[in-house]
Amino acid sequence: MSAMGMVSVRNLKAHRVRLLLTVVSVMLGTAFVAGSFVFTDTLKSSFDKIFTTVDAGVDARVQPKHSYDPGVPQDLVTKIQAVPGVRTVEVHAGAPIVLVDSRGKKVQPGGAPSEGGMWTPAAQSVGTLPTFAAGRAPTRAGEVAINSGAATKGHLTAGDRAKVVLPNAGVVDVTVVGVYKTKVETGGYIGVLFSRPQALELFTDGKHVGSLDIAAAAGVSEKTLAANIAHTLPSTLEVRTGTQARTDDQGGIQTALSFINYILLGFGFIALIVGTFIIYNTFSMIVAQRLRELALLRAIGAGRKQVRRSVLVEAGVIGVIGSALGLAGGIGLAFGLHSLLDALNLGLPSGGLVMTPRTVIVALVLGTGVTLLSANAPARRAAQVPPVAAMREEFASTSAASLRRRTVLGTVVAALGAVVTVAGVTSSSAGTGASLLGLGLVGVAAGAMMLSPVLAGWIITPLGTVIGRPFGAVGRLARTNAVRNPRRTAATAFALTLGLLLVSGIAVVGASMKASISGIVDSTVRADYILGTQSSVDIPPRAAIAASKVPGVGSTTELHNVATLVDGKHGVGTGVDGPLNAIVKVDMKHGGGTTTGHSMLVSSDTAKKNHWTIGSQHTLSVPGRTPAVETITGIYADNQLLGPWLVSGDVYRTLTPPNEQADIVILIRAAPGADLHALRTGLEQATNNFYVVTVQNRDEFKGQVAGQINGLLGLLYGLLGLAIVIAILGIINTLALSVVERRREIGMLRAVGMQRKQVRRTIYVESLLIAVFGAVLGLGLGIAYGSMFTRTLRNQGLDTLSVPWTQAVTFLVVAGIVGVLAALWPGIRAARTRPLEAIAAS
Amino acid sequence: MTQVSTLSPAVASLVAASATDVVKLFGSGDTAVRALDRVSIDLLRGEFTAIMGPSGSGKSTLMHCLAGLDTVTSGSVAIGDVELCGLSDKKMTALRRDRIGFVFQSFNLVPTLTALENITLPIAIAGRKPAQPWLDNIIATLGLTDRLHHRPSELSGGQQQRVAVGRALAGRPEIIFGDEPTGNLDSRSSGEVMGILRRSVDDLGQTVVMVTHDARAASFADRVLFLADGHIVDELRAPTAETVLDRMKGLER
Repeated sequence: MSAMGMVSVRNLKAHRVRLLLTVVSVMLGTAFVAGSFVFTDTLKSSFDKIFTTVDAGVDARVQPKHSYDPGVPQDLVTKIQAVPGVRTVEVHAGAPIVLVDSRGKKVQPGGAPSEGGMWTPAAQSVGTLPTFAAGRAPTRAGEVAINSGAATKGHLTAGDRAKVVLPNAGVVDVTVVGVYKTKVETGGYIGVLFSRPQALELFTDGKHVGSLDIAAAAGVSEKTLAANIAHTLPSTLEVRTGTQARTDDQGGIQTALSFINYILLGFGFIALIVGTFIIYNTFSMIVAQRLRELALLRAIGAGRKQVRRSVLVEAGVIGVIGSALGLAGGIGLAFGLHSLLDALNLGLPSGGLVMTPRTVIVALVLGTGVTLLSANAPARRAAQVPPVAAMREEFASTSAASLRRRTVLGTVVAALGAVVTVAGVTSSSAGTGASLLGLGLVGVAAGAMMLSPVLAGWIITPLGTVIGRPFGAVGRLARTNAVRNPRRTAATAFALTLGLLLVSGIAVVGASMKASISGIVDSTVRADYILGTQSSVDIPPRAAIAASKVPGVGSTTELHNVATLVDGKHGVGTGVDGPLNAIVKVDMKHGGGTTTGHSMLVSSDTAKKNHWTIGSQHTLSVPGRTPAVETITGIYADNQLLGPWLVSGDVYRTLTPPNEQADIVILIRAAPGADLHALRTGLEQATNNFYVVTVQNRDEFKGQVAGQINGLLGLLYGLLGLAIVIAILGIINTLALSVVERRREIGMLRAVGMQRKQVRRTIYVESLLIAVFGAVLGLGLGIAYGSMFTRTLRNQGLDTLSVPWTQAVTFLVVAGIVGVLAALWPGIRAARTRPLEAIAAS
Repeated sequence: MTQVSTLSPAVASLVAASATDVVKLFGSGDTAVRALDRVSIDLLRGEFTAIMGPSGSGKSTLMHCLAGLDTVTSGSVAIGDVELCGLSDKKMTALRRDRIGFVFQSFNLVPTLTALENITLPIAIAGRKPAQPWLDNIIATLGLTDRLHHRPSELSGGQQQRVAVGRALAGRPEIIFGDEPTGNLDSRSSGEVMGILRRSVDDLGQTVVMVTHDARAASFADRVLFLADGHIVDELRAPTAETVLDRMKGLER
C-alpha cells in the first residue's frame, strides 16, 4: 500500500463514528434505488410466470381491435375450427364478479381481480386443465368451480351454496361443485368458472365472446397459423401469435409496474440528493479539521494530486461500503414491501426475490458515484492547502469571495426558475403549465440551494433573536453558532428543505383536491343519498328499481358510462335515467332541455373543443349495435360529475350490449317532508340483496373521496419521511463534527462557568434554528409551488385552492422537534467536554 | 518556603486560595507520574503571584488544580473558604463562573461574539446583568473603548488578550488565574497586558495568580513561586526580571 493510501485508511479508522453517519446516508439512498429494482423485477418475473402458465399452449389469439368493439362473433368459432392447421379453439368469456359466500358475506379479493369465466373441457382446451383439490368441473347452469384461494377465503368447499353478483344478471345462486388449483397462486385472486352455456348467457350478448385462443395442429408454426386465420377475420378483429399474446399480457403488467418503479426510484433519487449534502458536509468538515495535517503532508512533499486522491480514496471506500449495505438494505426493503402488500392482500403473485446484475451495478455505481461527486469539491479544497498552513495557528475556513460567486450564480439560476415559473402559471394549457412549473421549481430550488448560505444569515439572525431570547447568553451563542459557517448550515438545512418542500407541496395539492371535491359536491349535488359501489362490479340496474320503491323516495336518477364512437371518434360520456335537475345543479350556458329521447347535452369545454353548437347533430355508434343520432339541445358549464356529454338512458341501452348494462351510481332525492333517517334504512334494506351497493349521504360521499386522497397522501408522506430521516442524520453529523471542531471553545466556556446543561442547550437551540430555517425555506417553496400547481390545474377540477395552514405549522413544529432530537447526542458529547480542553494544545 | 499550616480565622480571611498537601498523579501503577508532590501554598488576597519553573515542573498542573479545572489525587484545595474536593461538577462550574476569572495563553475568545459580548460572557452565562460603572471602569483600563463592537478576528493579539483580561475582571472574581497570559504576545503587548493585571491588583485590590516562564512578565508580580519536580523549591518577593532569571538559571542547572 502506498504511503498516501495508508494515510487514507488510517483516517477512515480514526474517524469511524463520523463516517458511519455518512455511510448510513449513502446506504439509505441506494437502498431505495436497489429496493425499487428488486421489487419491480420480482413482481415482473412473477407475473411473467403467471402469463406463461395462463397462456400456455396458445399459438394464436383472436381478439377485437378496440375496447368498444363488441367482441368475437360466436359463429366465427366453427369457421376458425375449419381453418387448416387449427387443432382446437378455446372460447373466452368473462367479466368481473363478486362472490358471496354461504353466510351472505362478500369474499374480498383485496387488490387482485375477482373474475367470472367459462370452464373449458379438455377437448376444447389449448393448455393443460387445472387440477381439482375437491369436487369436479361445472357441467350445468347453477354449478361453479372456484379456485382454492377463493375457497379458503370464503370458507367454501364442494357442495356449498354461494351467490355470484354480476352487473346485468344481478345475483345468481350457484352451487360450488369443485375447487381447482391454479399453478401460480396470486394473493387474493378469485376465480369463478361457470359451465359453458351459463357463461355464455351471463358474460356475452348471445352473439359475441371475449376472445379466442387457438392451438395449432402438430407441425404448424404460430406464424402460419396466424396467417391462415387472418383471412377469415372481419376488419374489427385481429389475430396475434401466441408469442405476441404473451408479450401483450406482460407488457400491460409492465406498464402498471413501471408506475410503482418510477415512484420508488423517485424516492431513491430524492434520498440520494439529500444524502449528497450530508456527504459533502462531512468531507468538507473532515478536510477543514485536517488542514494542518494535510499541509504537513504537502510540506513533506506530497503533491496536490496525491492529497486530493487521498480524500477521494476515502470517499470511494465509504461509497462502496455504503452502496453495498444499501444493496442489502434494498433487498430487505423489497422483501418488506412485498410482505406488507401481501399482508394487505393486494393480490401480488408469490415468488422469490429477483436480483438482476443490473440492480447490483446500478446501486453500486450510483452510490459510489454520488459519494465521489459530493466529496470532489472538499477534495479539491484539500489539495489547495498551502504547505505553509502547517505552521500557521488559525485557519479561515470560508472565504467571502467564493460565497459571493455562489450567491450571484444562485440569484441568476433562481431568477431563471422564477421566469419559467411565471410562464407556467400564466400558461393557458394545464399540461404545459404544469411542466413549466416543474422546471421552474427545479431552477428555483437549485437557486435557493446556492443562495441558502446567504438566506441562512437573513432568516436565522432574526429568528434566533426571537427564539433565543428566553435562553439569554445561551440563545445568543446558539444563534451566532448557527450562522458561523453559513455554507455548512445551508447544506445541513437543505436536506430538510427538500423534504418539506415536497411534503408541503403535496399537502397543498391534496388539501385543494379535497376542498375542490367537497366544493363540487356542496354546490352541485342535490341528491340526498348516493348509492355507489366499492367493488369491481357496477350496480345491477335492478337495484335502482328496488330503491325507487322505498317509501320517502322522491326521485331516482341512474348514471351510466357510455363508451362509444361519436361521429367516428372514440369517447366516453354519461347516460342518464331519471330527472337530472333533482339530483345535480346544472348550470346551463346555452339552450336547455332534458336528457330524454334523442336530445344531447354537452359541457361548454367539449362544445368548444369540437366546435359543437346548439342544434348540431351527432351520430353515436358502436360496431354491432344500432347507431343513435343525437341533437344538441343545451350546453352546460363544465361539471366534474356529469362529464363531457349527456344522453338518455334509452340511448345508452341502444348502444350497450345487455350483458354490460349497469349503473355507476344511483342518486336519490327524498320526497318533500320524508324522514331521511327512515329513508336511509329503507334504501339499505332494499339494496342489501345486491351486496355491492353502499348507501351514502353527501357528507359520507365527500368523506369517502377525502379518505381515498388521504390514503394516497399517507403513502407519499411515509415515503418522504425517508428524506426527513436522512435530514436528521445530516444534522447529527454536522453537529457532531462541529462539536469536535469547537472543542477548545466549549472547554473555555466550561472553564469560565458554563454549566453542562447550558452547553447542551446551546447545541439544541443551534440545531433547532438550523432545522427551522430549513423547514421555513422548504415550507415557503412547497406552499408556493403547491398553490401554483393547483392553480394551473384549476380547469382539471382543482378549482378550490386550500392551503393547510394548521398542517404547515405542524410540519414546522415537527421540524423543530426533529432538530432538537438530532442534537441530543452531539449535545451530550459537547457537555462532556472538560474545561481543560480549553488549554490543551490542538 | 511558605508553610502556613495553622492560620487564625482573621488570617484565613486574607487567603484567596490555598493548597494543602496536594498530590497529583497522572496515569497509574508503575507508569504513574507524580506531577505534584505534597504541595502546600496560600495565595493571599490582593497579591499578584507568579508561578514559575522548568517544563514538566508541575506549575501548570498546580494552577489547574487551584482553579478547579482539574482534580487532585490527594490533599485539599480551597478557594476562599470553599473546599473544592468533592464538589459536584455543577457547583464547581458555578464556583468558577462566580468566583474565578481566567486568562488563557491562546486568548480563547468566542469568535462569533464582539469584544464587549466576550467581556460580559461569564456574567451573561450566569444570567446576570453587568454592573455598568464597574464595566466602564474596566473597559477604560483596558483601553478598548473604540474596539468594543469588533469581532476577535478584527483585533490584534494584544487587543484580544486585553479582551480576555476584561472577561476575567468583569465578574469581579475573588481570584484570577492566568495560564501563560503573555505566551502568544510580543513584548510590547505583553507589557500592556501585564500592566493591566498589575493595575487591577493595585487599584482594584484584585488577586492574580499566573503561570509563566517569561521572567519579564513575572517581574510584574509581588511574589514568585518556583516549582521543580512537583515541589515548591523557592520563593522570591519583589522580583525583578534579573533576579527571576538568576533563580531560574539556578533551577535549570
